[in-house]
Amino acid sequence: MSLANDAPRFRAGVILALFAMVAAPALLVIYQSVLDAPFFDDNVRFSLDAFRFVLTDPEFYRALWTTTLYAFGMVVVAVPLGGLLAFLITRTDLKGRKWLEPLVLVPMFLSSIVLAFGYTVSVGPSGFVTIAFKSLFGAAPWSIYTLPGIILIGGLSHVPTVYLYVASAMRRLPSDLEEAARTAGAGIWRVSLDVTLPMVLPALVFSAALNLLLGFETFGIPLVLGDPNGILVLTTYIYKVNTIFGAPTYQVMAAVTVFLILITLPLVFIQRRLLRHARRFAAVGGKGARTNLLRLGSTGQAVALGLIGLWLLVSVFFPVGGIVLRAFVENWGEGVRLTEQLTLANFKAVFEIPSLSRGILNTILLAGVGGAIAVAFYLLVGLAGHRNRGRSGTLLDYSVLIPRALPGLIVGLTFFWLFLFVPFLIPLRATLISLLIAYIIVGLSYGLRIIQSTLLQVAPELEESARITGASIYRSWRDVVIPLVKPGLAGAWAMIMIVFLREYATGVYLMSSGTEVIGSLMVSLLTSGAMDQIAALSFISIALTAVGLTLALRLGAKLHD
Amino acid sequence: MITRRHVVAGAGALTAAAMAGNRPALAQGIPAGYSADYKDLVDKAVKEGAVSIYTSTDDVQGRPLIEAFRAAFPGIRVDYNDLGTNGAYNRVISEAAAKQVGSDIVWTSAMDLQMVLVSKGQAETYKSPEAAQLPAWANFNDQLYATSVEPVAIMYNKSMLGALKPPQTRAELIAFLQTNKETLKGKVASFDPEKSGSGFLFFNNDARTTTDTWELVKAFGGTDPKVYGSSGAMREKIASGEHWIAFNLIGSYAIEWAKKNSNLGVVLPPDHAAAFSRVANISKGAPHPAAARVFLDFLLSQRGQTAMAGSGAPSIRTDVSEGLNIAKLNEMAGGKLKPIPVSAALLEASDPKTRAEFFQKWKQALRG
Repeated sequence: MSLANDAPRFRAGVILALFAMVAAPALLVIYQSVLDAPFFDDNVRFSLDAFRFVLTDPEFYRALWTTTLYAFGMVVVAVPLGGLLAFLITRTDLKGRKWLEPLVLVPMFLSSIVLAFGYTVSVGPSGFVTIAFKSLFGAAPWSIYTLPGIILIGGLSHVPTVYLYVASAMRRLPSDLEEAARTAGAGIWRVSLDVTLPMVLPALVFSAALNLLLGFETFGIPLVLGDPNGILVLTTYIYKVNTIFGAPTYQVMAAVTVFLILITLPLVFIQRRLLRHARRFAAVGGKGARTNLLRLGSTGQAVALGLIGLWLLVSVFFPVGGIVLRAFVENWGEGVRLTEQLTLANFKAVFEIPSLSRGILNTILLAGVGGAIAVAFYLLVGLAGHRNRGRSGTLLDYSVLIPRALPGLIVGLTFFWLFLFVPFLIPLRATLISLLIAYIIVGLSYGLRIIQSTLLQVAPELEESARITGASIYRSWRDVVIPLVKPGLAGAWAMIMIVFLREYATGVYLMSSGTEVIGSLMVSLLTSGAMDQIAALSFISIALTAVGLTLALRLGAKLHD
Repeated sequence: MITRRHVVAGAGALTAAAMAGNRPALAQGIPAGYSADYKDLVDKAVKEGAVSIYTSTDDVQGRPLIEAFRAAFPGIRVDYNDLGTNGAYNRVISEAAAKQVGSDIVWTSAMDLQMVLVSKGQAETYKSPEAAQLPAWANFNDQLYATSVEPVAIMYNKSMLGALKPPQTRAELIAFLQTNKETLKGKVASFDPEKSGSGFLFFNNDARTTTDTWELVKAFGGTDPKVYGSSGAMREKIASGEHWIAFNLIGSYAIEWAKKNSNLGVVLPPDHAAAFSRVANISKGAPHPAAARVFLDFLLSQRGQTAMAGSGAPSIRTDVSEGLNIAKLNEMAGGKLKPIPVSAALLEASDPKTRAEFFQKWKQALRG
């Protein structure tokens, strides 16, 4: 029997509400881009001047080109490495792979601003690693402020994203094909190149497309590492056109965002198509296929562990070490004796200043309670789209795409306006609810993906048998689907919590006195350059994320779907 | 004029100390020298219960002022919003258009944007009883008040410069950058006028008031220049040795930092001692109009200025002994301190044509 026509009102209602939530910011951006003043200005007129400005500005083309290089460069770095890590951890008998997995994912849980700061303190020109290296070898032949340096850092920090997708595809792969090849005498590399690789190719291509998309949206790393050298990407270009005219010129910001949407929407679209294929592909293996692990041998073990160790050193230890160090000192760098600099003053300031300590509480509240509300919302949306092959299902697919194409800073700004100008939303503006709504939208595609994959694990026979015995669709959801996915929901909650902890751009315009959040406070402090407090907040943010991640693993969150 | 002010400052300091001993807390009474009906205003302000500040002065630096205000007026809660210069401007015009004004005081370092707000009719006219204590250039039509005097400075890393003699004047700086061009590659930093409103204010003011600005930018351009959006970011890089010297950063911060880190050197070049101010206005239609007035008066008062000067924003009053004040700064700059006046001329900085011309010249000069 078909379930598609069940509960049409519920499905349509939820999906339309979601569509309104995601379409409003996008429409506002498009509308603002064709005006000659802020949309609320009394003398505002239609005008294409903003587009004219952008299209005749050589900086825009430079930023576009840099962004393209950055995005593709990131893919070139992240996809092979992520794929290799996934292979080693899921398909081989690598030692210690159980505890390596959460470690490998760490860069994904840190906001890119925090990562970038960490890198300047560790491997910047005066970083502690650079200085140590120099004293050993005479010179340190790298620079993190060049485009290749920024691309490498961006790429390394996106390895976990690739890892997640490829590892989950590899886990679903039955090992009989590999074993067949092994018995026929093929070596381990032959097997992985000729058997494993083709089987996970869809996942690799998909994660490449995803990384390309993330590359176009990237903000924190180029902001911290590229800006002083004049290396601009599209998102930092948006940031700059906001100040270059003196007074903020929203129409130009909006016009650049429209270009960003035009670039990213096709990418998102391609990615969706690929995902559909990837899912079908993975289904070939079915569940419960036993996986036998490839043996690496002792040389293989050493090489693999060395490689992973090196990657961990560069991608986890360098940035996190940099932040931890900076949080406990006031001065660092060449000629500075760190032991004389150790201090808790940075943290003292954070806890003494009401807005900063409130920001920590608000962030915990927003991530914990807000995360739970977000999961409930994503579950509603997930159910509305569950086995929904109708038109509302297609609308849902597209609604999820829209926020992907908007930078968090812009989502925050448009929500600030919506809460200011839409009458029934006004009372919510100065509360954490306004931030929560914006966060739910920003986290939508990620959150929904977790929920959907959990929902898909419920075999349709269970729901169908409930229906046949006379249960309504709601009853089948309440009594069959939801109880079955409950453990998955707890894990999803923890993951969303981490995503909300990490977020920084969305709150910049939305937060007010009383609703500060850590990530956006760091951006505000960045404009005045209060590095002491930024470092302390970064450290606290990392600590909270570690707690969240531990909680997630305890609750049985699956880091892979 | 300067010497007279300096004498006044010395005398003021003594009186301030004496007064602080006699009268520890104002406790919602009438400050000395205010008219008798000021008590009504304070009563109203207490009834309003809160004052909302939109500012670009971060929470760390603003805290001493807020605490001093709380101590003086325990009945008035302070909602302090550090939004940055652009963020504050954005929120004010958006809220005005939505008829939901949320700010009582707008207090930022973007002198030009603040003047735009005044010209758009977003500022209330209010003659502060403290106005008489301020220099004439610090008060624009009782609508926009300068609350600090902050010179631009040169800051350098002593051990990194090593044998190179740090430049003491603007002219020496130009020569320094030219002659040591190769040695200084990638080691010189300054404010970014494109990303930072303060950066634009400094360089544009330089270009208007001096003849050698473009020569300086050109010399800077020859060193593979690095530009930053904040003084704090420059401090981080100078202190770590990544850069050796920076110019046009906020001098009052630099002086504070140099006190804590003996490896940092600061020069206020006497041949070019421009200074900007954090400026404040009362928002049109402020939700707490009385509290807004009380806060503005406090901000300009000796106590408020003392608190501010203690956290690195030198006082515009000569009778503040804490930290630096306008008279001391002038003395340090050899009597040639040139504050940017709060005047309608600031509007020029937000004129698209002025800006386009400036940036064209800037980019050209920066190519070296």
